[in-house]
Amino acid sequence: MISKLLRATKIERRVLVLAAIICVQSACGLFFLGDVVADLFSDEHMETVHLIAETVAVIALLAGVAYLMIELRQLLARFDQMETGLRVARGEVVKIIDDHFEQWRLSPAERDVALLLLKGVDNESIATMRGTAKGTVRAQSAAIYNKAGVDGRAQLISLFLEELLADGLSESAA
Amino acid sequence: MAKQDTSDCGRSGARTLAVWDPLVRLTHWSVALIVLINSFSDGEGDLHEWVGYIALGLVLLRLVWGVLGSRAARFSAFPPNPMRAAQHLLTKGDKHIHLSHNPAGALMVYNLWLTLLFISATGYMMGTMRFFGVAWVEEAHMLAYNWLLLSVILHVGGVVLDTWRTGVALVPAMVTGRKRIPEGMEAE
Repeated sequence: MISKLLRATKIERRVLVLAAIICVQSACGLFFLGDVVADLFSDEHMETVHLIAETVAVIALLAGVAYLMIELRQLLARFDQMETGLRVARGEVVKIIDDHFEQWRLSPAERDVALLLLKGVDNESIATMRGTAKGTVRAQSAAIYNKAGVDGRAQLISLFLEELLADGLSESAA
Repeated sequence: MAKQDTSDCGRSGARTLAVWDPLVRLTHWSVALIVLINSFSDGEGDLHEWVGYIALGLVLLRLVWGVLGSRAARFSAFPPNPMRAAQHLLTKGDKHIHLSHNPAGALMVYNLWLTLLFISATGYMMGTMRFFGVAWVEEAHMLAYNWLLLSVILHVGGVVLDTWRTGVALVPAMVTGRKRIPEGMEAE
């Protein structure tokens, strides 16, 4: 729980600092507002200029707090939007990969291996993870490259990258 | 070797969603701390008075944030509705997940805010010339404080109950701001 807080991203920290400032400033605003109100109703004579200056200062302070709150709201909304965007993008990538594997008629074992290949796991680690021999992995990757019509891992990856760049860029640029 | 992290997947499985913004969390825990401090501080002392003012400021700030704030923080996300609250509590094993407060929790939140405002108001009155030493004001202040304690106990009980029913850890959610929705659960 605490470690999650410490791992907060830069934008999350920014948002937290902004929120903390708003809390402190609103307390200050309330304090000075109380001061002005007390001055207004006190029997002691106060200089009008002094009172006006104080009132203006309080209004400015409270306006600042309101402005910061609106700013914080916008920051949070942007943050939210970014997160949904990422979520959608992630789902989209998975779908594209799935579609291709389907199209190439990969066997379930080959699908697993192909996914690990895409993730950049080396053959030896794939063999350990799947509990098979290194030779098996090599044979499976050869079958995958063959079915996909590429001559190696780099080309396999670039195939998906190309797909993403093709329709992803034009949309995000808009 | 690439490490697989599925905690943030947007598909059907378990997922974490950002719910409580920092302002909600800060005001929540500050007010909780203040209630604790002022439960033990000397009621006649300066500390009690100043800490009380800060609590009033925080509650007012939170109320403004209920209009201006982020989605889950806005009043519109948890309108007070006793009928729905009763329904929520009485439906056996109601496993609806609410991203903001659940209907019963919403009522509790409004209750806590009103009680805190009332305590602040009576506390302030006790310090004014007009109401200084007036018995009914002091009694109202104490009575409201007892009501607040009862409410806090019910609030904590409600959090435990909801965590148990839905499997969403609510206390960590109020610390990190994120609710972890278990696999196969729909959140509204």
